Amino acid sequence: MRRRTIASLIAIVAIAVAVLLVGCVEEDAKMTTINMGHQPSTHQVAAILAAEKGWWEEDLSKFGIEEVKLHLFPSGPPEMHAMLAGDLDVAYVGTAPPIAAIYEGLDAKIVAGVQTQGSAIIIRPELADDYEREGPASLKGKTIATYPPGSIQYTVLSKWLLDHGIDPEKDVVIKAMGPSDAASAIGAELVDVVFLPSPHPAIIEKAGNGKIVEWSGNISPNHACCCLVASGEMMREHPDIVEQIIKTHKNATEYAIEHPDEAAEIFAQWHGADVSTITYSMNITDMHWIHDPHLEIESSLEYAMVIYELNKERYEAKGIEPLREEDIFDTNFYDEIMA
Amino acid sequence: MNHKLELRNVIKTFNSEEGKIKALEDINLNVKPNEFLCIIGPSGCGKTTLLRLIAGLEHPSSGEIVLDGKEVKGPSPDRGMVFQDFSLFPWRTVLKNVEFGLENLGVKDRREIAERYIELVGLKGFENCYPYELSGGMKQRVAIARALAMDPSILLMDEPFGSVDAQTRNVLQEELLEIWKRTKKTVLFVTHSVDEAVYLGDRVAVMSARPGRIIECMDINIARPRKRTSVEANEIREMLLIRLGLESQRIR
Amino acid sequence: MKTLARTKEKGLWLAPLLTALILWELAARYVIKNPAILPRFSDVIFSFYMLREDIILDILVSLLHFGIGLTLAFSVALPLAIGMGWFRNVFKAVDPIVEILRPIPPLAWIPIAMVWFHLTHYAAGFIIFLGAFFPILIASYTGFRDVPKVLVETGKVLGCIGDKNLIKYVAFPYALPSVATGTRVGMGVGWMCVVAAEMFGVSKNGLGFRLFNEFYWLHQMDYVVAYMLILGLVALCLDRLFRHFVEDKLFKWKKGMVK
Repeated sequence: MRRRTIASLIAIVAIAVAVLLVGCVEEDAKMTTINMGHQPSTHQVAAILAAEKGWWEEDLSKFGIEEVKLHLFPSGPPEMHAMLAGDLDVAYVGTAPPIAAIYEGLDAKIVAGVQTQGSAIIIRPELADDYEREGPASLKGKTIATYPPGSIQYTVLSKWLLDHGIDPEKDVVIKAMGPSDAASAIGAELVDVVFLPSPHPAIIEKAGNGKIVEWSGNISPNHACCCLVASGEMMREHPDIVEQIIKTHKNATEYAIEHPDEAAEIFAQWHGADVSTITYSMNITDMHWIHDPHLEIESSLEYAMVIYELNKERYEAKGIEPLREEDIFDTNFYDEIMA
Repeated sequence: MNHKLELRNVIKTFNSEEGKIKALEDINLNVKPNEFLCIIGPSGCGKTTLLRLIAGLEHPSSGEIVLDGKEVKGPSPDRGMVFQDFSLFPWRTVLKNVEFGLENLGVKDRREIAERYIELVGLKGFENCYPYELSGGMKQRVAIARALAMDPSILLMDEPFGSVDAQTRNVLQEELLEIWKRTKKTVLFVTHSVDEAVYLGDRVAVMSARPGRIIECMDINIARPRKRTSVEANEIREMLLIRLGLESQRIR
Repeated sequence: MKTLARTKEKGLWLAPLLTALILWELAARYVIKNPAILPRFSDVIFSFYMLREDIILDILVSLLHFGIGLTLAFSVALPLAIGMGWFRNVFKAVDPIVEILRPIPPLAWIPIAMVWFHLTHYAAGFIIFLGAFFPILIASYTGFRDVPKVLVETGKVLGCIGDKNLIKYVAFPYALPSVATGTRVGMGVGWMCVVAAEMFGVSKNGLGFRLFNEFYWLHQMDYVVAYMLILGLVALCLDRLFRHFVEDKLFKWKKGMVK
């Protein structure tokens, strides 16, 4: 009796372990799926436009790729966290999150540009009159919500405040939040000001919850925003696939520039937004869709320094140096295409 | 003669899922002052219900219960009650248990009173013990002291020694008789045990099976201190057992 | 001989713990080799030193949120438990509402917390309140409901008349150990809600806030694990302190009752 009990216990444990391991079995060297990360911002419309038109699978089928899976992330850090875990091969993301992740050991590089500028400062409608009279100084003592320190938005916001003589530490209260929290925060009147990327400014304005007072392009002209990141493994093992992805991205970007209304429709469809609001957003935003990574090098290096300063103690203790261009960018693929 | 306790035509019915249950039917009973009256009967005959009516924990469906000339309305310390088990407040020491009722009455020298009764039941020195540290017999002694400390007009006891072992039971019975002699209380004692009833009581009331009636009140004219195995005791015991046996047959 | 046996018993927890820590360090160093996937134990220890300036403030802010939530939970749960445990009708009336609200995870209340309490410490306290409330309520009303009939009747025959007096002198002392147990469980659940409560920007400090909105976003996994350990250690301290100062005193008399 006892032996049977022990035998059945061993059998149960063995089955459980086998079931658990099934998920862990690595795919063979032959790659058939590409995992692509992206975010619900009009900055990254190229990703979903190419997906909607089937260009990803079409262009990559010759490499044996059967499926390109798009993974939606609310913001950059969770997306980079997934890339750190090895779950993403390429990612559409702001330039700051991958830089922060590379400091912590992410094996990936920026291989193409996606978009510059395109964020706006939105204030509550009641504060509009004061702002007209006094300008940014009227915001002293107010609460501002934006992405956490180290993000592009936080960096540009700090610059704007400092340019207008406002101390980000002492004169205002900056609350770090995720994007959807910040967007609903101004609607719920929990904060006075938000600084968010398109299409949030248009959505908030249309809902009557805020007034756009400044675009990021005026604060920091041509500052880098979104980019295309490829994992180190992809670049080493499948350089031809990486090159094709950049080509398809370039085509999708150029198509979006030519057909903004169609891009707006696709975005509205994919993310359940109102088409007219998205079209309005595309009209008023100051973002530029791009594909050349060189355009993003300068401001990205600035972000890298800002992030370094934020975490100086930690990086110094671990012997981490400020990132240089070659740590962040690999422009060879793009240069090959344009040659 | 003025009776201590009178029950006149007391009837008690309960509402249950099966309909109305008549627990007690037409109870008429007179208890003399200073009397030790035992009540016996088959299981389920309602002897506990009878005691609870006198204590005021239940109300009679009809009839009167009169103590010292006044009708009984609800529970009150003038009818002290000792339950079978688990009635001590476990979070209070022996002393604090005995003081409990005196606290409710706001008695100032309750400590001295409590200590006196603790000594009376033979537990001097155990004032600061908790119930969990005491044996079953000791706990029942505390319960008796606690009820007596209120100086009740009548002491109601519901199978108080039912949970202790036989030897402790005999000791407690003798101690109870001592206490009864000294305090001169009127005692109503419900029990399953005919032996116990014969040893303790001046009178034994025998109840019928449900619905409970008092079918016989037998005087026990044996002089105290009694011998448990005397001829007279055996005779009365046999009579009671036969009476009880007939009643028990009726249930089956 | 005796001291050797006693030392062995007391040190029983030490050997497994040390083994686990050593295995952790070896696995992180030689097997996983990626600090973003599994930070080294040594790095985590070093993190305590690196974060030394912030740790105390973060612990205090989290304890503030915890204190707000727990106090509120206890103040609301106890009177409600007395009502539900002692009065059958109150129980029947209120229990359905309780049972509907109870399974809702505290995290789901975050949007409501934000609009009711805005971005203040009270919003965080509210989430913790929701975590602590139900264990305290249920254990307490069970204690009040399970007061043995014989004790209540003993109280009555000894002159303790009326619901108010019976609750005060009989039910409450009887139920107190249940209330204590419920509070201890509630404390555990409430503390677990700290990270959720602090996630959404109520303050710039707090263990949960820093873990989720700083270390996670910057992929500083050794800091993440360090703060996870602190969360666990603080919970352990709170639990042990409560047991020592409250439960041990209350449970003396329960010893004899539960066999």
